[in-house]
Amino acid sequence: MAEVRFEKVGKRYGTVDAVRDFTLEIVDGEFMVLVGPSGSGKTTALRMLAGLEAITSGSIFIGDREVNQVAPRERDIAMVFQDYALYPQMTVFDNLAFGLRRRKVPSADIKRRVEEAARVLDLGALLQRRPGQLSGGQAQRVALGRALVREPQVFLMDEPLSNLDAKLRTQTRGEIRRLQLQVRTTTVYVTHDQVEAMTMGDRIAVMNDGVLEQVGTPEELYERPANRFVAGFIGSPAMSFFTGEEVGLTLPRNGAVVGVRPEHVRPWREGLIGPLRGRVAFVEALGRETFVGVDVGEARLVVFEEGRAAHDVGDEIEFGLVESGLRYFSAESGAAL
Amino acid sequence: MTSRAEQSLGYVILGLFSLIALLPIVGILFTALQEPGGLAAFGTFDGLHFENFKTAWEEGNFGSYLKSSVIVSVSVVAVAVLLSIMAGYAFGLMRFRGSTVLFYLFLLGLMVPTEAIIVPLYYDLRELKLTNTYWALILPQIATSVAFGTYWMRTYFRTVPRSLVEAARLDGASSWFTLWRVLLPLARPAVLTMTVLLFMWTWNEFLLALVMVSDEGLRTAPLGLSFFQGRNTSELSLMAAASVIVALPVVIVYVFLQRHFIRGMLAGAVKG
Repeated sequence: MAEVRFEKVGKRYGTVDAVRDFTLEIVDGEFMVLVGPSGSGKTTALRMLAGLEAITSGSIFIGDREVNQVAPRERDIAMVFQDYALYPQMTVFDNLAFGLRRRKVPSADIKRRVEEAARVLDLGALLQRRPGQLSGGQAQRVALGRALVREPQVFLMDEPLSNLDAKLRTQTRGEIRRLQLQVRTTTVYVTHDQVEAMTMGDRIAVMNDGVLEQVGTPEELYERPANRFVAGFIGSPAMSFFTGEEVGLTLPRNGAVVGVRPEHVRPWREGLIGPLRGRVAFVEALGRETFVGVDVGEARLVVFEEGRAAHDVGDEIEFGLVESGLRYFSAESGAAL
Repeated sequence: MTSRAEQSLGYVILGLFSLIALLPIVGILFTALQEPGGLAAFGTFDGLHFENFKTAWEEGNFGSYLKSSVIVSVSVVAVAVLLSIMAGYAFGLMRFRGSTVLFYLFLLGLMVPTEAIIVPLYYDLRELKLTNTYWALILPQIATSVAFGTYWMRTYFRTVPRSLVEAARLDGASSWFTLWRVLLPLARPAVLTMTVLLFMWTWNEFLLALVMVSDEGLRTAPLGLSFFQGRNTSELSLMAAASVIVALPVVIVYVFLQRHFIRGMLAGAVKG
């Protein structure tokens, strides 16, 4: 196990900066999620850590060792790929044993470690199958197992759940987290799915356009986003943004952009800021709760209602804001105020 | 979904073209089995006279020609396949300076026909005292085969998921090990298809053999067939029998590997 450190790391493809001035410290045993939209540089950052992409500038450390010039196989890391990358002609057992054999681990140890991983991941019955005979979920577990048996210093995971259906994804999410807590191996996990990020990470690093926007615990990111991008990216449905003028309110910070999450926009009652009136633009009834998109002047806010709300598109409704839920951002830079 | 009528029409068209492809072959076979010195027209059935093959074999010295062809074809194909796999791997999956320029240089070998280089090649090989040896047939054909083979294998290796190679790298496999143990078992259809194609082209090569060797013992089968035809213009059945003898090895190799061959041909066309 080891800590991982990115120091002012940059990656340039021709004239494009995929990653700029990326500095991040991941402590020993931590589950760090890199999250961001496509093209944000999160996968590039992970691949640089793996040694699959050269670094243009800066340094990467695994433990105390600078690994800029270290070959991938010398870095003592294991990676789980999005498409699993299982060796199709080999059995599950051989897939799991491959890395250990390349490292000249005695065959008795290999057998023990493979069987242990198979037991943990419930692959015992599949050891003699080939990847082509596995379901998506099983192949995914084999890919995890291949990383697990290596007992590396760092796990790298590149969107490992994106090829699974929704139900299996939720289940595997928990499983990966449970495994990581068991072995306590430092893990860097890349995803574009903020729900995965929020539910799995000890800390989350939000990236956008090659730049690290904010690092923090899920709670920090949710409650105290550093800027508009993070505020809008974390949370579903997303935070609504508006200015006081747009909705006809006088708010403490004049001229700032206000952000508010749906749970802080409620049907009108005393004690809220308001009332605001708007026209219903959409209704997302999820059963236990309903999100109602409401147009107020130029702005659109999402109102949270318990249970099933009876509104139609075009209805006029009255609602208010919970004062403690308001966040203010600079209209120019987008930074939190 | 296709309707019944469409399906029937498809069969009719396919049947027609199969017939066009098969007729000459059947014609040669029937002719080869006609009575020696008989009066039957080309392609008509006239009983089963297998002695034509024996006569052609003995009179035409095909034992020696086939031996030369086997020596040349097997050497060329074995070396070319090995080199093509390695070059295709490098061009397909490794990043290095000048790879594009170098690859186009390889393609040049694919585009220039033998006719264009045969004269200078003759003088070069004569200079090296290689004319009238097997080397004069083997070396140039390795070169042209590697041009095609590299192109073919590069295309194949480009379809291999990159993550597979990366996973092997992280697992501690060297490039060499990754090629032979991880990728090659998957590449079997592509390699076998290439083997059949190279074998066929090498076996049927005519011009090079005509220009480079004059020694009777070095002549390859197609060249021998041509000489044999020159001597037996009137004996249709003998000529047909000789043609069958010369074509047979390619047919055998094809039939032997055809299941993989077809799969390999399709592998490049449809991904998945």
